[in-house]
Amino acid sequence: MSGRTGTRLGDAMSYLFMLVMFVFFAGPLTYLLSMALRDKREVYRGAARYIPDNPTIQNFITVLNNSYFPIYLWNGLKLAALSGLGVLIVALPAAYAFSRFQFRGKGLSMMGLLLFQMISPLVIMVPLYRYMNRLGLLDTHFAVVMVYIALGVPLATWLLKSTVDGIPRSLDEAAMIDGCNRFSVFWRIILPLSAPGIASVFIITVIAGWSQFLVPFLLLTKNDLMPIGVGIFNFRGMQTDSSIQLLAAACLISVVPAIVAFLSLQRLILGAMTSGAVKG
Amino acid sequence: MSPIAIEADSPPQSRTFMRRFAGAPLPWIMPVIVVIGIFYLYPVIDVFRLSFTNATLIGENQQYTFGSIANALSSPQLPDILWATLIFVGGSVIGQQILGLAVAVTVIRGEKRGLFGTTILRTTALVAWVVPGIAGGIIWQMLFSEAPYGALNSILRLMHMPTVAWLSDPAMAPWSTLISNIWRGTAFSMVVMYAALKSIDPSLYEAAEVDGATASQQFFFVTLPQLRAAILVNMILITIQTVNTFDAIITLTGGGPGRATEVISLYVFNIVFRNYDLSGGSVLSVLMLIISLGLAFVYASFLPKEEEQ
Repeated sequence: MSGRTGTRLGDAMSYLFMLVMFVFFAGPLTYLLSMALRDKREVYRGAARYIPDNPTIQNFITVLNNSYFPIYLWNGLKLAALSGLGVLIVALPAAYAFSRFQFRGKGLSMMGLLLFQMISPLVIMVPLYRYMNRLGLLDTHFAVVMVYIALGVPLATWLLKSTVDGIPRSLDEAAMIDGCNRFSVFWRIILPLSAPGIASVFIITVIAGWSQFLVPFLLLTKNDLMPIGVGIFNFRGMQTDSSIQLLAAACLISVVPAIVAFLSLQRLILGAMTSGAVKG
Repeated sequence: MSPIAIEADSPPQSRTFMRRFAGAPLPWIMPVIVVIGIFYLYPVIDVFRLSFTNATLIGENQQYTFGSIANALSSPQLPDILWATLIFVGGSVIGQQILGLAVAVTVIRGEKRGLFGTTILRTTALVAWVVPGIAGGIIWQMLFSEAPYGALNSILRLMHMPTVAWLSDPAMAPWSTLISNIWRGTAFSMVVMYAALKSIDPSLYEAAEVDGATASQQFFFVTLPQLRAAILVNMILITIQTVNTFDAIITLTGGGPGRATEVISLYVFNIVFRNYDLSGGSVLSVLMLIISLGLAFVYASFLPKEEEQ
């Protein structure tokens, strides 16, 4: 095979494939933006008005002026951020132990954790709903955050363990010789050096919490407690074909924070995920 | 799940209680055990228990019976639900795996050759991945919609081609939901495949080159065998994710038309939270669990043994 032509042909095919994939992945989101910027009349022009003649931000203003929408956004942010913190508090010590201690049943417990990761929230929601009901915790953000934390902990522990694994043990040992106990090793050495891993696990958990639908949908009934995921679902139920541009704007508002959070820390997140995947 | 605290590497005879306490793994793992115990283990056990009752979401009285299991499993809708689930899960796993691998291979090739747009493609694919399920359903509904604003049909109309009943034709709707799910899920496979491709020893390719292997021979005889473990692990993860997906379908088709896109997770959701049938939902939850774990074990049995360490 003549190398030069083969490489050229390969490049051309790569470009073609990349273009098709780009349209497939970016197309839907740009169409959402296009719809969100239209006025009522242009909505009915479909794809022909991909770039609207009269772009308007009125839809965004209308949505944000909806009495509940800012509350949904705030609730979504609050629940997601609290669950991110909670996951770290629960998973970090465990990740340290799984990385630094040898004990019987360690491999088994790590596998067990992954097994829980495989269980659908749907399966556990049925009993959880009843307990929360009996404990009077329905319609509290506390209950929702606790369930988010439980859902996030298995993966977080795995990812954080591989972060801690990457910190040389000799640092622990040196600190111990200098008189540190395990708490201070954890606090002064492991935590600061795991900062990138901690940041990525936090962001992964926050994005997962932001996307949650099932848990708040079931555990919350009051509209002013709902996070954005459920809010947008309810908002959709109130819209008709003639207000599709409002739904598009609302949808975009719910999507953008997750995308911004992800993009700004993309390197960190992918680093944590790929090192976790490779070392598994 | 209950690790027995036998420490090997902590200093012997710690003086203070604090030291002894911190020197054992159990206190460090305790928070995870408590959280998982309360919010996972106990509810899962309870789901099993509830499947042997006739409990409802509202009623307080419940009796132990096998009736719910018999009812749920003999329901005339179940075969349709399982069929819809099979199409959705099978299609998603195959589609996301192939597309994710193709994108990862192209991205790695593009990076090596310094092609323009490699990073843009990778980032765009990943952006679709962080879109919340509910929003994903809404976005795809705007694309598939048969109303004038539906993107795909209005493109077809512009090109003077016949339009397609993406969401209202029972034969078409499953494919539409499948496409939207592949859109959201491909990035995950891409990340796993990308990491696995990067970890392949480059000398294998050098050797293949020396032996005169073509690009496609290198792919089939070097790349694919090296990816075996990663592909299987990825299949396990996306299978389970897909079996559990229902938020995207709720907003896209709501399970319809008829029951054409009502997958088992959506069916469970409807049974429990629309019909208040707690025991029936529990039976089907257990069924979902068995399906996920069963598939996971099948895949896992194909994993090479050395990988287990």
